[in-house]
Amino acid sequence: MRGALTLCLLLLAATLAALMLGPVRLSPALLWQGLSSGEGPGALVLGTIRGPRVLTALGAGAVLGLSGALFQALFRNPLAAPDIMGFTAGAGLTIIAAIALGLTLPPPLLAAGGGLVAALLVVLLSQRRGHATPPLTMILVGLGIGFIASALSSFLLTLLPHPQAAEAQRWLTGSLAARDWTHVAQVWLIGAALTALALAQLRRLAALELGEDLAAGLGLRVGRARLALAGTAVLLAAAGVAVAGPVPFIALMSGPLGARLTGAQRLQGRMLSAAGTGALVLVVADLAARAALPGIQLPAGVMTGLLGAPYLLWRLSREMEKGEL
Amino acid sequence: MTLDMHTGLRDRPHGGLTAERLSLGYAERPVISELSLDLPRGAMTAILGPNGCGKSTLLRAMARLLAPSAGRVLLDGEDIHRRDTRALARELAILPQSPIAPEGITVADLVKRGRTPWRGLFTPWRGEDATACAEALAAVQMTEFAERPLGELSGGQRQRAWIALVLAQAAPLLLLDEPTTYLDLVHQIDVLALLRRRNREAGLTVVSVLHDLNLAARFSDRLVLLGRDGLIATGTPWEVLTPANLQTAFGLAARVDPDPVTGTPMIIPL
Repeated sequence: MRGALTLCLLLLAATLAALMLGPVRLSPALLWQGLSSGEGPGALVLGTIRGPRVLTALGAGAVLGLSGALFQALFRNPLAAPDIMGFTAGAGLTIIAAIALGLTLPPPLLAAGGGLVAALLVVLLSQRRGHATPPLTMILVGLGIGFIASALSSFLLTLLPHPQAAEAQRWLTGSLAARDWTHVAQVWLIGAALTALALAQLRRLAALELGEDLAAGLGLRVGRARLALAGTAVLLAAAGVAVAGPVPFIALMSGPLGARLTGAQRLQGRMLSAAGTGALVLVVADLAARAALPGIQLPAGVMTGLLGAPYLLWRLSREMEKGEL
Repeated sequence: MTLDMHTGLRDRPHGGLTAERLSLGYAERPVISELSLDLPRGAMTAILGPNGCGKSTLLRAMARLLAPSAGRVLLDGEDIHRRDTRALARELAILPQSPIAPEGITVADLVKRGRTPWRGLFTPWRGEDATACAEALAAVQMTEFAERPLGELSGGQRQRAWIALVLAQAAPLLLLDEPTTYLDLVHQIDVLALLRRRNREAGLTVVSVLHDLNLAARFSDRLVLLGRDGLIATGTPWEVLTPANLQTAFGLAARVDPDPVTGTPMIIPL
């Protein structure tokens, strides 16, 4: 309980800081005036620039964090995450491809399609006849799929005219610049529906965590349950990618970081901690990216990359020590 | 109907778990072929045999974790693969050999998951779920450890927590794959005595794969002895554990005397 409160307070503090800090600095008084009356300089900044940006970051971070924690529980492996396994790269690729080809489909739909195709490829390519696929095999195959998707995205970028290419490049890094209320509505509505869907499946996940044999003994149709959970997790990640780009490492880091922050042991607590931590990390990363170099707005993905890469290395070394790799 | 050559059991109408000309494994490398077996309700049965004879494979198939390549497994006369998986889980529970403990999980949280087949998508946690878990914890004498993380417990306590999970599942039939492996002698006896108690007091049908012949003889009503070429014998411990059968199954020259304490067969290797 105390842990959950800590996380909520951190989220609140980060949100307020993200709303107040920037080229135009808002004092708490101006922020309050803007929030309460909808007037003054605060209202303009909140209503058109930072409000949508921060709320999009919160929503996208939360769905990415939850997605990662679901995969980690499902695969019983801390390296399992949509950003490591190529699902976010796949989601990003379809959006870039649509831009390059001049297709105008809603980004959430494109991202969902790309993420699901990447997941399908991972499943098909890692399957061996008559054997259960070890999670690590799927993770490594996913890593490969991710590289291919990123390479294809880079190739498509070269086909775009310059200003569009720069914009797309920025988005591919994971960026929250120039978000509007459509993005906010998208990520929060889709995110809420998918989160409810994920939470409804937690009992099955709790059984699956005990191993496939015991889960089957407890009455689960193991294959079907895993597929439904993995599908939900891919869609959650895609919902985040659609509004914030394939921001790296949020999904990978949020589960373990959230569990450490809140001390949650139970499955539901761990999942909600991961969502909250994902939101926190993305808001802070975006704020840091805006503030890092005066006059230059770095994409948030640069910051999460700087944070996430050392984490990934540490994780890999831990897994190697345990003999898991 | 037909008289089965191997078991001598007639196909008669009765409750329990039955293997009917069961073949397991791949066609080119069968692990079990055409095995017929009856596991009657109310009994405590141990499956014995040398390593690699397919004991665990047989148990997994009886618990529908493995689809047979031929033959059927029947529960009260009905093919278990045709039944709804959740409904079946209320009838038949299995504790696999090495279940996986999620990191940091407490005993209480683990045992709660045994209620999975009784809870629908939107069924809240009910009084009967709590009662079943409390009873299961009490049955394995782990009530005071409920809030402890599983990882901090001894091997024997951990195994009792896992057994509490399948007891909370409240199925009248419980299969266990090597429940005493990796435990020291005291805890092996502890686990078997606990299962025996549930068998006597709650009428739980228990079928387990065991290694220790003397313990199996001591704690079982019926034994199933497998050899490399299939079923060797089933019946009471005295019927099954004969020097001739031990020679066939294990290549073991042994004398079988009554255990001075319990009167059950005791194997003395020669």
